[in-house]
Amino acid sequence: MSGEHLSLTLRVWRQDGPEDPGRFETYQLDNVNPHMSFLEMLDVLNEQLIESGDEPVEFDHDCREGICGMCSLMINGQAHGPDRATTTCQLHMRRFRSGDTITIEPWRASAFPVVRDLVVDRSAFDRIIQAGGYVSVNTGNAPDGNAIPVPGTVQETAMDAAACIGCGACVAACKNASAMLFVSAKVSQLAMLPQGQAERTRRVLGMVTQMDEEGFGACTNTSECEAACPAEISVSHIARLNREYVRAALTAG
Amino acid sequence: MGSVSRILSLPARLLAQVPGLGPVVQAAATSVGQKILMAVTGFLLCGFLVTHLAGNLLLYAGEERFNHYAESLHSWGVVLNAAEAGLLALFLAHIGLAISTTAMNRQARRHRYAEKDSKQDPTAIPGGASSWMVVTGILIAFFLILHVTDMRLKMNPVVDYEAAVQDGTMSEFRAVHLVLTSYATSWGYVVGLIALGIHLSHGVRSAFQTLGISHPRWNGLLDIAGQLFAWVITLGFLSLVVLAALRSVS
Ligand code: HEM
Ligand code: FES
Repeated sequence: MSGEHLSLTLRVWRQDGPEDPGRFETYQLDNVNPHMSFLEMLDVLNEQLIESGDEPVEFDHDCREGICGMCSLMINGQAHGPDRATTTCQLHMRRFRSGDTITIEPWRASAFPVVRDLVVDRSAFDRIIQAGGYVSVNTGNAPDGNAIPVPGTVQETAMDAAACIGCGACVAACKNASAMLFVSAKVSQLAMLPQGQAERTRRVLGMVTQMDEEGFGACTNTSECEAACPAEISVSHIARLNREYVRAALTAG
Repeated sequence: MGSVSRILSLPARLLAQVPGLGPVVQAAATSVGQKILMAVTGFLLCGFLVTHLAGNLLLYAGEERFNHYAESLHSWGVVLNAAEAGLLALFLAHIGLAISTTAMNRQARRHRYAEKDSKQDPTAIPGGASSWMVVTGILIAFFLILHVTDMRLKMNPVVDYEAAVQDGTMSEFRAVHLVLTSYATSWGYVVGLIALGIHLSHGVRSAFQTLGISHPRWNGLLDIAGQLFAWVITLGFLSLVVLAALRSVS
């Protein structure tokens, strides 16, 4: 890997607040170290902006190691940039070439209003989780490791669903801004396990109702979400959500 | 607006009065519920396509055989009319749900991206046709209007049904032949049927997923079955247009 530095043109969405119509601003950034992450590159841009007396670009981030799901950026029309199974914080500048123009936009969904610049409000996801309700577990001592039998394949699939970090890339990438992949992961991880059975029916109905209320779109089964998901959640969970929903609709009290 | 939606929701509100159906009707109104109904109505329409094509393939068997089929179908009388009404209801339900979910989808992204790209394998077929469901659906709807005007009402202004009535050769077979050999009309059929093929090439596969029918062992086969169904139906109907053209030459 050569250590050659990159010169980039950045087209960044700037928006002063939720009511501001917003606009693209173009910045020139030289001497970008190819080993930097995408977020570190934005840090460098912000230092440059602060030095020249401009407002830094607001963007979300937290863990910077691919687990918190905060770093929500649309990079050249791709959620989290060009790589599969990668969050923006895990994307490195060596993926780009000197002279590239990079367009950076916030997630676009009516349910994710822009707060400022590249930061969107994803609390709609939190309300969907809340609408799913609680899980009944006994308090007291931790149960014996093998007291509740769960087949290995079921465990694995439930864990795959639980890998969702709630970043919203599925919504961002979907042509309908649908939240089906997110909701299906959250429904699946509990519906498959014995611990999730007590509230199984109520959970799926509550989450789907809330998903609609937040203004997400319907699912066209285009599978763009699966390709964009940094946690590689499969659309087979959407099929499971649909099954859970039919079951709940036919049996709910 | 309010009164329109009240009239449109009347069937649903009546159904909700049936004991046991209340919660089901309520669940059917969500985005997931509406998609499930689209898949069910779509599959039922596919069932119609199969029977319709099977009957029409009798055109290959010749004039007498086809006219006999048409007459026996017409002899069903009110039963046939009831089936036609049911079919119309299916189409209207499917289209109504299409309008409703499409409106939901548009609302969900009011501000579009300046740049949008895909991470899917560009050679993968499912991603392609799914973006054309509304366009192909509208083309099919126009085709259906043309088709009913041509064949059911026999009122297509560019087809000369009168001549056949005058010289006493008019029959169901003759009418179909006249329609399919009318130049402008036959192109309408070709466009409509190709739109149907594209619609089904995503629709059938999508409907399985929407109904929760998905399994890692069977998904590959479902992909193939969806494509096969779409294009066998389409080519089957298209072949009848070609057949009519060939017969008029010979
Ligand atoms: C013979 C006629 C038709 C057949 C057999 C058919 C079949 C289907 C099937 C099987 C689906 C998939 C259900 C799913 O979403 O999972 C579908 C979806 C759809 N159909 Fe049709 N359809 C027909 C006519 C129409 C017409 C006339 C329209 C008119 C406007 C239409 C609009 C749509 C739309 C918008 C979708 C869903 C797009 C989405 O997935 O979001 N279809 N159709
Ligand atoms: S900052 Fe936590 S996942 Fe990227």
